[in-house]
Amino acid sequence: MSTVPTTTFSEHIPDLDLITWYAENNKSVFAFMSPWTKFAILTLLVVLVTVLHSIILLISIYVAVICIYLIAGLPAKKLILWYTLPILFVFSLIGILVWGEPGFPLISLKIFGLTAILTDKGVLIAISLLIKALTMVTFSLFILMTTRYSYLATVIERIFPAPLDQIFLLSYRFLFLTISMTAAMLKAVCSRGGGVIYSIRMQGKIFAEVFALVFIRSFDRAERVHKAMIARGYKGHFSMNNEVPAPSQYGMISIVIFSIIVIAILIASQLKWGLNIL
Amino acid sequence: MTSLKTPTPDQLCFQPPTALKELIHVDCASHVYPDGTIGIHQMCFRVFESEIVALCGPNGSGKSTLIEHLNGLLTPSEGKIVVRGRLIGSKEAADLWKDVGIVFQRSDDQLFAPTVLDDVMFGPINMGIPYANAKSAALSALKAVGASDLVHKLPNFLSGGQKRLISIAGILAMKPKIIALDEPTSDLDPLHSDIIERLILELKNKFTISVVIATHDLDFAARIADRVCLVRRGSICAEGSPADMFYNDRLINGAGLQPPTVVQLYRAMCIEKGISATERPLTIQQLVEVTSKKIVE
Repeated sequence: MSTVPTTTFSEHIPDLDLITWYAENNKSVFAFMSPWTKFAILTLLVVLVTVLHSIILLISIYVAVICIYLIAGLPAKKLILWYTLPILFVFSLIGILVWGEPGFPLISLKIFGLTAILTDKGVLIAISLLIKALTMVTFSLFILMTTRYSYLATVIERIFPAPLDQIFLLSYRFLFLTISMTAAMLKAVCSRGGGVIYSIRMQGKIFAEVFALVFIRSFDRAERVHKAMIARGYKGHFSMNNEVPAPSQYGMISIVIFSIIVIAILIASQLKWGLNIL
Repeated sequence: MTSLKTPTPDQLCFQPPTALKELIHVDCASHVYPDGTIGIHQMCFRVFESEIVALCGPNGSGKSTLIEHLNGLLTPSEGKIVVRGRLIGSKEAADLWKDVGIVFQRSDDQLFAPTVLDDVMFGPINMGIPYANAKSAALSALKAVGASDLVHKLPNFLSGGQKRLISIAGILAMKPKIIALDEPTSDLDPLHSDIIERLILELKNKFTISVVIATHDLDFAARIADRVCLVRRGSICAEGSPADMFYNDRLINGAGLQPPTVVQLYRAMCIEKGISATERPLTIQQLVEVTSKKIVE
C-alpha cells in the first residue's frame, strides 16, 4: 500500500484525501460488497433510525455499525475526532429543543426572568438524537471508505437526475484541488508565524484575504478546467463509464431480511405494539 | 507589449520545407485580451507534417496564447488561422479539437474526471465513438504513454509526472493530427522529463503526429525540436533549425533567453582549450563526440 495521504486543516474535519485513499485501498470483505447493497442498507438504516425511539435499540444499532466500521479495518481514532462536528451540530439543535420537555425535572435555570427546566425526557431526547446522528455519520463514512470512487460516482449518476449528477461528478475532483490549495495557503500562513486560531484572533483580515483568494483562485481554476474540457469537445454532458457490480446472492438476502425487520418495526410502531421498547 | 517590431529579413533565416505538407498556417494573427493585454501580435507561424516545432520565449511572450488559438479555443481579433484547410472562427472549424489536441501546462486543469480511464475516455466519447471503441482507444493511449497500470487510479493520487502522462494519453486517445504541448516538462523531475521527451519523439516517429511545444527550456528544445521559433512580445522574431537559432547570440538574447547549457559549455571549453568553435553540438552526446574529436586533433 502506498503512503496514506492527508490534507487536513484540523484533525476534527473529515479528510477527503484519507477517505478516498481508504476507498481505493480497502481490502476488507465490505470493499467487495456491491455498492447497491450498501446504498440499500443505508436507505433502510435512515428509515429505521428515524422511526425508532427506544434508546436500547438505537444503542444496539449504533454498536453494530461501529463493529462493521472496525471490521472493515477503518481508523477508529480518526472516527472519534471526526465526531466533533456532528456532536456540535446535534448540541446546537438540542440546546433549544430539550428544555421544557415534560418529565422529571433535573436542572432548573433562570435566564432573563424565564425559567428553563431540563427533564429526564429532555436528556433522553438529547441522547437519542446524538446516537441517531452518530450512527448515520459512522455508516456514511463506512460506505465512503469502502466503496471505490468510480462506483460511488456511477451510482450517484444513475440515482440522481441531471444536473445534480453533473454537479456531483464535476465538483468532486474540483473539491480536492480547492482543499489542497486552501491547505497550501494555510501552510504558508503557518510557515511565517501564523496559526489557525492565533491568526483568526490576531490577523482576521489576513485570513479573510486568504479565503477571498481561495474563492478567486477557485473561480480562475474552474475557468481553466472548463477550457481544457472544451478543448476535448465538451458539450455540456459528462458521464461515467463504469460497470457497478450488482448485489450478490448474500447481498440480496441481507437487503430482504433488513427490509423485513424495518417494515416490522414500522408496523409495530404504527400499531403501538411494545411501545416500551420501540 | 505595445512596441512591436516586424522581424527583419536576416532574422528570418528559416527556409520553408517545400516537400512537407502544411497543416497549420497562422497568418499575421493578433489577439488582445479583454483587459487590453496583447496576447499575440502580427504572429506568423506554420506547422508542417511530422515535425516537432518548439516555440521558445520567456514568460508572457505569447506562447500559450498562440497554442490556444491552434485548437480554436481563442479566435484571433486580427489576421487568420487556417488548420488543415479550415479557417478558425468559421463553421467548418467547429470540431477543430478533433484535429489539434492541447496538453495544458497544469495537468490538474486537464484531469477533471474521477478516474484515469474516465478522463482518457472523455475525448473519444465526445467524438461520438461507441463506448467499447472509446475504451479500447483509451487503453491503447495509456499503453502508448506507459501508464497502463494507472487505469483505475484517481488523478489526485498521481504524481506530477504521472498526471502529465495521463494528460497526454487523454489527447492521444483522440488520435489528433497535431498535438500542442504547453510547457510539457515544467515542474517535472529529470526522470519524468526524460520520459516525456521520449514520448514526444515517439508521437512524431511512431504516430506521425506533428508536435508543437511551447517552452522556455532551451536545453529540452535543443534535444528534440526539428525547428525552433523564437517568440518575443507576441510575435515570432526568428525561426530556423535549433543549431541556427541557439548558436546565434543576437537572436537568443534578443528574444530574452539564454543559450542552452550545452552551447554555453561548448563555448567555454573552446575558449579554455584555445580551440575554434566550428561545430555546433546541441546535445550532451554530440558535445562529447565533438570535444573528443577536437582533443584527438
